[in-house]
Amino acid sequence: MKETLNLTLKVWRQKNANTPGKFETYEANNIDVHASFLEMLDVVNEGLALKGIDPISFDHDCREGICGACGAVVNGKPHGHLPKTTLCQLHMRHFKDNDVIVIEPFRSQGLPIVKDLMVDRSAFDRVIAAGGYVSVRTGSAQDANNLPVSKEDSDLAMDAAQCIGCAACVAACPNAAAMLFVSAKFSHLSLLPQGQVESKRRVKRMVYQMDKEGFGNCSNEYLCEAACPKGISVSNIARMNRAYFKSGV
Amino acid sequence: MRSWLMSSIGKKQVVAVSGLLLILFLIAHLAGNLLIYRGPEAINIYSHTLHSFGLFIRLAEFGLAAIFLIHIAFTAMVVIDNKKARPIGYIGGQPYKERSLATRLMPYTGTILLIYVITHLFDFTLANSNGPGAFVNGQNLGLYGLIVNAFANPYEVLWYVVAMAAVGFHLVHAIQSVCQTFGLNHPVVTPVLKKISFVLGVLISVSFASIPIYVWLFISTAH
Ligand code: HEM
Ligand code: FES
Repeated sequence: MKETLNLTLKVWRQKNANTPGKFETYEANNIDVHASFLEMLDVVNEGLALKGIDPISFDHDCREGICGACGAVVNGKPHGHLPKTTLCQLHMRHFKDNDVIVIEPFRSQGLPIVKDLMVDRSAFDRVIAAGGYVSVRTGSAQDANNLPVSKEDSDLAMDAAQCIGCAACVAACPNAAAMLFVSAKFSHLSLLPQGQVESKRRVKRMVYQMDKEGFGNCSNEYLCEAACPKGISVSNIARMNRAYFKSGV
Repeated sequence: MRSWLMSSIGKKQVVAVSGLLLILFLIAHLAGNLLIYRGPEAINIYSHTLHSFGLFIRLAEFGLAAIFLIHIAFTAMVVIDNKKARPIGYIGGQPYKERSLATRLMPYTGTILLIYVITHLFDFTLANSNGPGAFVNGQNLGLYGLIVNAFANPYEVLWYVVAMAAVGFHLVHAIQSVCQTFGLNHPVVTPVLKKISFVLGVLISVSFASIPIYVWLFISTAH
């Protein structure tokens, strides 16, 4: 296997939220196949900076697939084509020499573009602030098994809690709906006894905020699940639909 | 209540209930239509029996029309919201296999159905089943005559078959979708529901479509 790649990148460049953006083409040469996608962008940015061109802005933090900061749509897929992978964990060995790679920001009304590939995800914070917490006093840590939780429920809650809030689900959804994110945040609390007390209020408030942020309506297309780097299941959406229906009637 | 109804999930649930009621109507309607295979008597008696309910059947028709309009109004809102939620699309495309053809075509098959229902009402429901359209070879055959004459025209047959294909595609997505919208998603049950949705959608569609084809091939041309 060749150890380096030459690639052509078509990257979305946009100065700020109010300026229309457009695609620019850059060559990425001698990219180590073991580099991550973000490291590849770092290399390209160094080259751009040397030429006096504004480097490509993109979000990142942990670079180990756990924080949820990174993300862009690569050739039409959020976080790229590899299943259950964040962009920072997508390595260049999954691309071929001379590939043309189209890199766009996550696109949705609810996540306005800050600059280039960077989007403002504070809508997610506002959804959490609307109801994604437990406010009943649960006291300090108690003895194990004092509060019985079935293995099944604890597994489901832990699965839902894996959501890192990266917004790939919104990016993948043809309706730019945020249902997978919101339902994961709803589910991981409402599956557990401490979270059940406020469940009804939680679902109403979180859905209200989600709608207010301008996300679309779910039409059960399940592209969110396919794009999720943590494999969050659409059964969480069903759980939230059920709870929402009960809260209304 | 209003905020519940107008929320994203509320709207979807209205679409789902109204859609489900429309499916129940379709099944009842299909059962009646299949009487065509038992000859002129059966279908005409069926039609007369329905009309003999008078006020009751008028109320049912009114209810059905209301459900239909609600379904369309709420899906229109949903579709418009969804377009607004992503003002600028991707150029890379979205080639996930999870998105079936039936799912992608929902707004389009729905629109075909809307146009179809209007033409269908004019073809039969609003047509005079004792008028000139009901006469076959100088004989008044009532509703049966209307059907035979309508499907003597191959373009009419084609349009009905296209519309019934649209019904099929719409239902293949819709039946399993209703379950998810109301919160039924289970590792064992859901894959089975998807199969049921597919089989039922195809079955309803093919059964309906068989009627114009049968009448055209074996009855209209024979006269
Ligand atoms: C006999 C007529 C019809 C039946 C039986 C029917 C049934 C259904 C059902 C059961 C659903 C699924 C709801 C869900 O996703 O949970 C649905 C969805 C939908 N229907 Fe219909 N429908 C009919 C006519 C129409 C018409 C006339 C239109 C449009 C003009 C339409 C447009 C749609 C759309 C766009 C959806 C998808 C909604 C979404 O993605 O959220 N349908 N339909
Ligand atoms: S940078 Fe933290 S998940 Fe990618």
